[in-house]
Amino acid sequence: MTENFEDELRRALRPVQAPAGFAERVMRALPERRDSVVTPIAMQATARPPNYWQRLRAPAALAASLVLAVVLGQRMALYQQQQEEAAGFAASQELLQALRVTSQKLDLAYQAVKNPPEAGAEENRS
Amino acid sequence: MNARIAIVFIALLSTGPAFAQGAVSKGQLRLPEFAGLSEKASESVNVTFGPEVLGMAVRFLGTDPEATAAKKLVTSLTGIYVRNYTFDKDYAYPKSDIDGVRRQLSAPGWTRMVETRSRKENTDVDVYMLIENGRAQGLAIIASEPREFTIVNIVGNIDLEQLHDLQKLGVPDLELETAKKPEPAKAAAAPTPAPRK
Repeated sequence: MTENFEDELRRALRPVQAPAGFAERVMRALPERRDSVVTPIAMQATARPPNYWQRLRAPAALAASLVLAVVLGQRMALYQQQQEEAAGFAASQELLQALRVTSQKLDLAYQAVKNPPEAGAEENRS
Repeated sequence: MNARIAIVFIALLSTGPAFAQGAVSKGQLRLPEFAGLSEKASESVNVTFGPEVLGMAVRFLGTDPEATAAKKLVTSLTGIYVRNYTFDKDYAYPKSDIDGVRRQLSAPGWTRMVETRSRKENTDVDVYMLIENGRAQGLAIIASEPREFTIVNIVGNIDLEQLHDLQKLGVPDLELETAKKPEPAKAAAAPTPAPRK
């Protein structure tokens, strides 16, 4: 029983010569070969064309940055100029004060020289 | 060869600190710090103007007569250093520091133009000038009073005639031209230059 079954199975699975023209028919039946197209997931998500504002976003950000940089630069320059003016004005006032002190002390010496002490007074001038 | 390089290197290292300390220019005195005096003083004026700060201060001077006179006077200067302290009680300042400044003025070139000693008012005023080639290169004033002391050091090419412009600031004619061109006729009126210390 078993041997018969095996024989029948062997006969059924024996190699069979393909009919003539089989390979050509199979190849014709296959679809034409095409290059695979890979679509990124991110691109699939934004597949829609960007609208007007989306297209302007990057240039607008760049322009805003430039304007901000220019404004900040101007503010900094103005601040530095004001600081310099304040320091210069303070220095000029100190200079005048220094010259006033100088003039007062020169006047002190002048008065001492101009009004010599009377003879015998306890003063010494030269 | 290597020894020469080493010697040059060592020499540069040894002279470096001297440059770093900033050698004072001719006519400039080494003024003490007077640390702590500002707190003790009721009023104080501490002005240290080198060439740069002086130039900036001149740029910002106004156009009134006082400022104009100051501008004219200061243009040829390279430094103004003023220490002025006023106290509420007598002799609250160290006289040793002032004596230290006086000692600097005994260096060659400095001439004491005016020396006043008033025991009555306890006021001493000394005016020194550093004169080279007939031109004043520095001016120093040391004035000590019981409750005030002042040290003034003006550095630069001081035109004595321009000192007269200080009259607009309230300074009378000190007739300091006598230092440049001594005239016997003026000697009686002008302060007699004291012998160099």
